[in-house]
Amino acid sequence: MTKRKTAILLHKSLRGSRLAQVALIVLLWLAGEAVSRSTGIPVPGSVLGLFGLLYLLLTGTIHLSTMRRGAYFLLADMLLFFIPAVLAVLDHSEFLGLVGLKVLAVIVAGTLVVMCVTALAVDVGYRLMLRLENRHAVS
Amino acid sequence: MPSPETILITAFWSVATIAIYLLSKRTYRRWPAIWSSPMVLTPVLLAALALSLHTTYSEYIGATRWLMVILGPVTVAFAIPIYEQRAMIRRYWPVLIFGIVVGSGTAILTAWALASLLSIDGTLRLSLLPRSISTPFAMSISENIGGVPDLTALFVVLTGVLGATLGENLLRVLPLKSSLARGALFGMGAHGVGVAKANQIGAEEGSVAGLVMVLVGLVNVLAAPLLAYILR
Repeated sequence: MTKRKTAILLHKSLRGSRLAQVALIVLLWLAGEAVSRSTGIPVPGSVLGLFGLLYLLLTGTIHLSTMRRGAYFLLADMLLFFIPAVLAVLDHSEFLGLVGLKVLAVIVAGTLVVMCVTALAVDVGYRLMLRLENRHAVS
Repeated sequence: MPSPETILITAFWSVATIAIYLLSKRTYRRWPAIWSSPMVLTPVLLAALALSLHTTYSEYIGATRWLMVILGPVTVAFAIPIYEQRAMIRRYWPVLIFGIVVGSGTAILTAWALASLLSIDGTLRLSLLPRSISTPFAMSISENIGGVPDLTALFVVLTGVLGATLGENLLRVLPLKSSLARGALFGMGAHGVGVAKANQIGAEEGSVAGLVMVLVGLVNVLAAPLLAYILR
């Protein structure tokens, strides 16, 4: 079998099967972990895997339709995969008292500030960008 | 070779976690409200079950740690929404980068300042720093800067649930002209839950929020070694 035929066959089998897509994503993750560990760069292997997949998509090696279902299958139930960590609260009965209220205050006040600052920054940046573009269009 | 008891405990808590999660999702579809969102209901029900069975956190997490390993592939899967939004990135990248850098800086500074003000310090303060970032990224950053990743996951969930509600009210007060700003507000401030809320407000807001959430995670993971260096 030629290389091209193998590639076409691979794409066909990937497109049809969500499980195969998830398997390929896991493979990219493992590769990323291996690279992260062997080179010692301080970026998590999963993020390297993300960039790997992005590269494959941008170069056209993998088509979006061959990965989309598998990726959204994982993303849709992301919550399930970090719920166990949330139960860490069991080990922290002190959160039921003053410390808990303090943490809550930090989160509420901090989030309000973050939201206001971010939204206003983006709004100002957006208007600035449009104005610059208009000026270029006129001149 | 693990003992039969360990295998039994692992199987029990794994099945319980998945079953309660699926049940919560169904409950939310029937009665959509903040209290019934799977992000609130699942941990509350699981905690009640663990308390009634006198299970400690270390026993529980020992049995369900494998679920969290899947966060690795989930992070890789984020490449797909980034790729799908490439037109928006190409068009608005200066504004997006500006918003993300300003927002992330504000998130870390306010968490640090407010915690210090309320005399929260040590690992608890460090665990609060990455709370505005999507969970898989936040946990890895927390570990990097010397926090407790599990506590960070708890704070991320709280931030998401509270932030989505706060953000909806903020929209009525803030004079925002662009859907870009409205989306960024939710993506930066309330990650996953915020994206769901932004999608209810508008399709454009939703996709901006999703994109901002992912980019915030990426930018912060890449900047974390620098932050860790500053904190040390």
